[in-house]
Amino acid sequence: MRDGKHRATTLDQLDRLLADYFRPGDAPPALARRITAEARRSGRGLEALEDRLGIEATPRGISLIRTGRAAGKPTTAAARHLVEQARLEIHEYLRGQRAFFRVPVDLEAVPDFQRRVLEAARQIPFGEARPYAWIAARIGHPRAVRAVGTALGRNPVPLIVPCHRVWRRDGGVGGYIFGTPVKDRLIALERITPVLEGCTSTRIVCRVGCVHGRHMRPDNRVVFASVDDARSVGYRPCKVCRPAA
Amino acid sequence: MDAERGLMLKVARGDQGAFAELAQRYAGRLLAVAGRLLGSRADAEDAVQRAFLSCYAGASGYNPRWAVSTWVYRILTNICVDELRRRTTREAHAERTTMAALAAGSANHQPPDAYLDLHRALARVPREARVLLALRYVDGLSYGELARIRGISINTVKSQLARGKTLLRDELGKRGAGHA
Repeated sequence: MRDGKHRATTLDQLDRLLADYFRPGDAPPALARRITAEARRSGRGLEALEDRLGIEATPRGISLIRTGRAAGKPTTAAARHLVEQARLEIHEYLRGQRAFFRVPVDLEAVPDFQRRVLEAARQIPFGEARPYAWIAARIGHPRAVRAVGTALGRNPVPLIVPCHRVWRRDGGVGGYIFGTPVKDRLIALERITPVLEGCTSTRIVCRVGCVHGRHMRPDNRVVFASVDDARSVGYRPCKVCRPAA
Repeated sequence: MDAERGLMLKVARGDQGAFAELAQRYAGRLLAVAGRLLGSRADAEDAVQRAFLSCYAGASGYNPRWAVSTWVYRILTNICVDELRRRTTREAHAERTTMAALAAGSANHQPPDAYLDLHRALARVPREARVLLALRYVDGLSYGELARIRGISINTVKSQLARGKTLLRDELGKRGAGHA
């Protein structure tokens, strides 16, 4: 019975079926004009944010990121190093060249409830959004939605702890420490930044932002949807950024 | 082919007429690839628009050793594959079900249900093989070009395509054969 049905679809039939299925349709008119207009508009404005950021660190990690005021000078070499690392990572992130932060944060001075809120926000994958209620449920206080909003609003290390990925359930933006237009732009930026890329000459797959990626030529980049996908076509995961972890 | 390379070099110099011609040449095929991979016309148009934007903005980085089609398809598949990744995590978060994505399916001039069996069967083919099948059948690209687009070996292209087709045949068989 099963064999009989199998015979009904031969590879020849499948070939014809696929050719029909994938036959190209017509291009929408004026597509090129729309795109060139879009290209002229594409000043994204996130770079301006970068110049205004003041960053503070302790030897354990980044402790404060704010705009509009000068940051206190790092007191130790370790802290200075962390501030430099954070600047570089934020610079790459805002240009769509980084999909994760490696620099540690120091939330020691943050009250317990807020720290749990921030830890939960860190679990939201790059490029995605979750409602405030999701965080509230996750930390075991499902009714504390408003308190979650307040805790996120006081996030000492925005961008690195991605409070911009938390939106209202009705799709509304909610507030944001750098203003809601920036929140919109960050989500839009993350929507077009890939997360995993392979190098066609080394056949190694990395997280976007890995040091290896910096040396990769643009025409050597291929994007993958998962580490398993990359493995299935002969790539191995990078040992530095460990994308499978 | 050389005419296309010339066209690309003009695009790199900022010639909008040349870009319009390039977009016109590829838009239909890119939409077919993106539409069948992503399942909805709106998502496909968005992906194609982003791909062209990237071609336009990055034209000066075009390497004339490459066929223009290889370059354009690399950019498009990079965008589509990332979109598929995002979709998987979104589905895990239960914001969208596979069936809803499938039901939205008509990317082409065909009525949505004419190829529903094939559409569902394709959804079960691993992503990398699905991408190769789309490129192969939309534009009849050679194994060598498919290999360059995805940065894999020709043998891998062959084995992925063969595996994809076997899976499709088995799936369609299970569903009582496709559309003869």
